[in-house]
Amino acid sequence: MSSNKAFSADASRSERIKEWISRPGGFGIIAGCIMFVAITVFGFIYPLVGPYGTDEFVGESLEGPSLAHPMGLDQLGRDVMTRVFAAVPSDIGIAFLGVTIPLIIGTIVGILLGISKNKYMVSFVSSLIDGINAFPLLIIAIAMVTFLGPGLINVVIILTLMSWARYARIARTRAVVVLQQNYIEATQLMGYSKRRVIAKHVAPNVSSESLAYALSDFILVIIIVSGLSFLGFAARPPMAEWGAMIADGRTFIGQAWWLTIFPGLALCWSAISLSFIVEGLSRRDRGNS
Amino acid sequence: MNRNIFLRKFLGRLIRAISISFWVMVISFSLIRLSPGDPAAARLGAGAELEAIAALKEQLGLNKSFVSQFIDYFSGVFQGDLGVSLVNGVSVLETILRVLPLTLTYIVLSVFFAFIISIPIGTIIGWSNKASAVYTFRGITSMIIATPNFFIAMIGILLFSVKLNWAPVFGYVSEFPQNLKYLWLPVSINTLILVAIISRVLQTSVVDTKAEEFVETGIIRGVGRPRFFWFYILKPSLAPTVVLLSYMMGTMLGATVILETIFSLPGIGRELVGAVLATDYPMVQGILLFFGVITVFLSFIGDLLAYALDRRVKL
Repeated sequence: MSSNKAFSADASRSERIKEWISRPGGFGIIAGCIMFVAITVFGFIYPLVGPYGTDEFVGESLEGPSLAHPMGLDQLGRDVMTRVFAAVPSDIGIAFLGVTIPLIIGTIVGILLGISKNKYMVSFVSSLIDGINAFPLLIIAIAMVTFLGPGLINVVIILTLMSWARYARIARTRAVVVLQQNYIEATQLMGYSKRRVIAKHVAPNVSSESLAYALSDFILVIIIVSGLSFLGFAARPPMAEWGAMIADGRTFIGQAWWLTIFPGLALCWSAISLSFIVEGLSRRDRGNS
Repeated sequence: MNRNIFLRKFLGRLIRAISISFWVMVISFSLIRLSPGDPAAARLGAGAELEAIAALKEQLGLNKSFVSQFIDYFSGVFQGDLGVSLVNGVSVLETILRVLPLTLTYIVLSVFFAFIISIPIGTIIGWSNKASAVYTFRGITSMIIATPNFFIAMIGILLFSVKLNWAPVFGYVSEFPQNLKYLWLPVSINTLILVAIISRVLQTSVVDTKAEEFVETGIIRGVGRPRFFWFYILKPSLAPTVVLLSYMMGTMLGATVILETIFSLPGIGRELVGAVLATDYPMVQGILLFFGVITVFLSFIGDLLAYALDRRVKL
């Protein structure tokens, strides 16, 4: 009896999962999540359990792909596969910080702008936001390197200084809409404190939109972090980072294609997995089209 | 009456663009003051003499108050004076004008080709709306968009320069017929990325346009094919595409930095990278200002164009 019940619960769960996947975009979301989790897990585990160290010289320089070294060796004789996976924290990790910190700051600023009654303050901060948003992100990030110096931590600082404005604009627009909703009026009638209304009723409704944007921003930021490293402005040489590895590979592109292709594929894999999720979510949002 | 509303809205948008440009100027001016420590000392290195640091500070105007510096800078910009390079003493504006034509050439070429290729692709896939075609199309385009341009460029170099020897690996000659040999690969790569973006937006807006009532009216009235496709489908669908493209322009200009560095094209992007490496503050500031203002005005022009294509667009 009990086993039967467990079985039916199990069946209904798998049915529910099937039903969830079969809705528009479900396949993309699942595939994207699996791809993304796979590379993140590999990135954190492989350098620990793999046979070679990240900075260990294990053979001839520029040795081609073989069974012992599936992605070949680089110009200093380091194992490319180990380095490709060891780069995950510095690429995905830094990009994650570069998205979440501005997301939090920007959303808070945006909500405050939405509820603020101080006209001068609002118009001042809004023009600042418009001004920051006018610059192409990559250009202003490169320019900021001149003033802050290169390095991955500085990239996070630069992204924080520049990206909050885009989130603030989204959050502000959304906050103005949310504040006009009936349920906000209801909370005021019920005499809730202002802080409670903002934290429990405004913020969650505003952040859903910002989160959706943050996910697609994640792709852009991964590309910017690796692009800055490619130009030599983010990760410093001995560090394993995809953009920097591709830049190294560029010097040896005539002799050793594996130096360029494998880090590039890892980069594409992460960006494409995220774009599958974004695409799937937006299909689901639009319904059946 | 109608004309008046348009004029007022046009002026409103123009004033907005100018006021954003003002803020762009404030930001590109303030960045150097954000740097931790003394930018003059940082540029000259640890062994610099105090007099040299003081002289550079004087040259950069860092010894004056923030407000008077800004007034100097502001009035300088209006006279076309963006400062002088710390590396070779050439005026920043002159340098920008020297390197800009190349960047513009290949951006204009790639936008042109991208539109020629995207319009049929986007329209046909959007119009037929066959599930398998849409899936394949969206899959391929999202992969291209998610791939960093420098990786696409490296694959291009690997295929066409290293394996097939159709293009030089890098370098540039500015004379007309020879420069095509250096330009075709970067232009094709830029075009590929743009085609993915433009045709996607176009496809979505063609699907939206198809659902509009006037399309049905057009079919019922039996409007001739080419006329139907242009007036009823393409023209209203192009408006969102143009808006997007004008907003995308900034990102695209940003992307030129990387493409120009890879292909060693002496354009504005490579100039910026060189200036950053040489900590040439006035040059970085000038190029940053230029990019910001250009982006603001491109999106302004994009809005106007979209209005010209579809009068329902809110200006």
